[in-house]
Amino acid sequence: MPTLTINGRSMSVDAAHDTPLLWAIREQLQMTGTKFGCGAGLCGACTVHVNGEAVRSCQTMVGDVAGKKITTIEGLSAKGDHPLQKAWIAEQVPQCGYCQSGQIMQAAALLSKNSNPTKEEVVAHMDGNLCRCMTYSRIQKAIMRAASEMRTASASGNERRPT
Amino acid sequence: MNQHVKNVTAETTDLSRRSFLVGTAATGLVLGYAGVPGVSEALAAPSNFEPSVWYSISPEGLVTVTCGKADMGQHIASTMAQIVCEELGAKWSDMRVQLASNDPKFNDPVLGAQITGGSWSTMMNFDAMSRAGAAGRIALTEAAAAAMGLPPFYKDELVVRDSVISHPKSKKQMTFADIVKSGKATKTFTADDLKAIKLKTPDQYTMIGVSVPQLDIPSKTNGTAKYGIDVMLPGMAYGKVVTPPVRFGATVKSVDDSDAKKVPGFIKAVIVDDKTQTTSGWVVAVANTYAQARKAADALKIAYDGGPNAKLSSQSLLDEAKRLQGLDDSGQYFVKDGDPNAAFGSAAKVLEAEYTTNINIHAPMEPMNATAEFKGDILHIYSGNQFATRSGAIAAGAAGIDPKFVVMHQMWLGGGFGRRLDADMMVPAVQAAKAVGKPVKVIYSRENDMTMDFSRPLTYQKVKAGVDGDGKIAAISHDVVSAWPTARWGIPDFLTPSVDQKGPLDSFTVNGSDFFYTVPNHYVRAIKNEMAHNATPSGQLRSVAPGWTFWAVESMIDEIAAATGKDPAQLRISLLDGAGKNDGGAQRLRNTLLAAMGLAGYGTKKLPKGEGMGVACVSSQERATASWTACVAHVAVAPSGAVTVKKLTVATDVGTQVHPDNIRAQVEGAALWGLSLALYEKATLKDGGIEQTNFDSYTPLRMSQMPEVAVAVIANGEKATGVGEPAVTVVAPAIGNAIFNASGARVRALPITAEAVKANMKA
Repeated sequence: MPTLTINGRSMSVDAAHDTPLLWAIREQLQMTGTKFGCGAGLCGACTVHVNGEAVRSCQTMVGDVAGKKITTIEGLSAKGDHPLQKAWIAEQVPQCGYCQSGQIMQAAALLSKNSNPTKEEVVAHMDGNLCRCMTYSRIQKAIMRAASEMRTASASGNERRPT
Repeated sequence: MNQHVKNVTAETTDLSRRSFLVGTAATGLVLGYAGVPGVSEALAAPSNFEPSVWYSISPEGLVTVTCGKADMGQHIASTMAQIVCEELGAKWSDMRVQLASNDPKFNDPVLGAQITGGSWSTMMNFDAMSRAGAAGRIALTEAAAAAMGLPPFYKDELVVRDSVISHPKSKKQMTFADIVKSGKATKTFTADDLKAIKLKTPDQYTMIGVSVPQLDIPSKTNGTAKYGIDVMLPGMAYGKVVTPPVRFGATVKSVDDSDAKKVPGFIKAVIVDDKTQTTSGWVVAVANTYAQARKAADALKIAYDGGPNAKLSSQSLLDEAKRLQGLDDSGQYFVKDGDPNAAFGSAAKVLEAEYTTNINIHAPMEPMNATAEFKGDILHIYSGNQFATRSGAIAAGAAGIDPKFVVMHQMWLGGGFGRRLDADMMVPAVQAAKAVGKPVKVIYSRENDMTMDFSRPLTYQKVKAGVDGDGKIAAISHDVVSAWPTARWGIPDFLTPSVDQKGPLDSFTVNGSDFFYTVPNHYVRAIKNEMAHNATPSGQLRSVAPGWTFWAVESMIDEIAAATGKDPAQLRISLLDGAGKNDGGAQRLRNTLLAAMGLAGYGTKKLPKGEGMGVACVSSQERATASWTACVAHVAVAPSGAVTVKKLTVATDVGTQVHPDNIRAQVEGAALWGLSLALYEKATLKDGGIEQTNFDSYTPLRMSQMPEVAVAVIANGEKATGVGEPAVTVVAPAIGNAIFNASGARVRALPITAEAVKANMKA
């Protein structure tokens, strides 16, 4: 039985090694925030992080991620208050919402490496994630808002404060 | 025993004859109409009460509105809560929503069924939800006045705001929670009392017109929103459907499950016996997990009889459409004003053109799914669905039971766009659950979802226009040949009598062609393409008929403008003169066109060579429930024929804005849908099957393809209209017209390709 390190916890899953990570997360671990969209790595709805990289969990086998650090939308932040999640609410991004876990996870991987992306970098990074409600412009705005907040937070974190 | 009865045929729930009850139940205050099964019983026996009336207020003061509409991203549940909240006087942060079951008590007060589509929800529920909110406020206010010891005539001195009722003179106040806990708020409103309630006037609104935070959005940023696909029941198995290579008409000859049996967790291969004729030739591979079900499905060896449609292609459907259009006695008349044929005889100029659209697939991001569980007498279905009334009946048909024994549990919809008006997913889930004796969740693969879509049909339209000596349009005759999406439902109330009394026609194939332009001689013929109807069972795709009828009408108007040397926008303005039956609507449509022109800077600047602007304006959806939308598209056309859409400017007249930010989101999403259908989405039929199977071959718009979109919302105080669909329909003709103005190439087929543009450029 493979053991997964997911959202900081170690959990064993009753699934064959060639089971897509997506289904192990959703069914064995009953974390349903990660969505099935195409089963072929074409839409991004199933995006999770493996060692900080955004990957398509429908194309990632359980046996290949044992021992690696997996993060899903449920584990992105303790209280659903990652700057991206706050920005998604501030910009009122979701319509049906089904693709948004994947969008947020894809965007989080970008901002963890580049907290000051250009619009072109955002588009290039996000182009594999389909949104059938076509909320793309709000997704862009929310990413820029979150990036700005993260820069401000890290700048203020570096400030010397009187003790 | 549940009380679900007679929920197949749409019946009007006539609220004008019903009383509205406000009463105390075990869970707090409940408010709903009497005479609708459930409500009066709930009040009579509070211990058994399920908080599933229109809304309830808990002893903590939380107001929960039950939404009988499917929420597929249009935030309609939140909108319903907002309308109630306005009149009730509650605080927005106290508002909650829940999704209704298919109990008839949640039927739409106008439509008499649970169906979500047509951009109807806000316009048809605004008044009833407002009165329900106001009735609650009145009952709470009277109870508060009594509790505060005020004589009744001091009632008018009470202020209701943010869930608090206060009496400024005596400085007394009570919260909604206090009043509910007192148990004193009980009142019955007769139908006349309800009608007599004076609703707020727009200048008194504090909620309507405010972009409050949508109640469903936080749950859609942290993974907690539950969609149909997320349903988990104890002891549940999973089903993967195996669908035949032919879209419809195939039958299963044999199933060899010897290899599937080697797949761990495999339970059974269930051949679907679909007496509802929603599906044909389907098998469900059932296993302990979905991953195992997928493996087992792949291992099944199934032999099919391809049936009567196995040789058909898109070309066959188009050829058949042309043949039918050429026959004088085809179809039925939807519009028959004057005598176009006589007018063509005396016209100075006659134009004729053919317009086509290819098959389009809904492809919502959440693939179709349903979970079925038999519990005693009752069949429970968990699925996000736009038409619970009919889907419950289909589930019953698949189970061989009476529809009154089916309970539909509504979930959030991972996209609808009309796809979830259909009920095919109920059939394999029900039959698999029955066959294996446990709850089964059936999930379509993307390939199943695409190849078995109830698609927007392939359409063929021929438009003939006659222009008189003064350059005025004297006549238009318009033939629309397509599969008939709504006729397939078998519900007579959804069909429309033909004006030539040749029996009912499916107006969801011709809506929009009955435009608001003044054209004295005007025919529209609805012609059913029986071959397409059988081979590609079609459905309602966001905006339905206006998605193709306006492609033809709005392209032809520009063709006439070009042939008569007129500015296409000015020609439209002259046609929108508001004469006769077009009075009111025509003027509103004209104004949206002017707004879009102004916002886009139409005609104010010289564009570089190879660029052009095009206009279109539409009265989607049905004439009786019209919205007013105009678009100016700005495109650049390369010598290769490649089209770049630089900007879409959309103006829409919504009457009254409930939630301005949501309207913008819907209009922008709809406009981008229109762009996606105009340039990027195409499905084709070959050997009876849909050739596109996933997002590599069927390719909706991606972020990198998004142009600038400018939206102008006109709120002129008229009644609220729908906004989810109209902007879909206006974009393709605006782009087509812009391409003509940029390059001289007239394109008449959707989607528009670079090849077609290049081929039609003047050398």
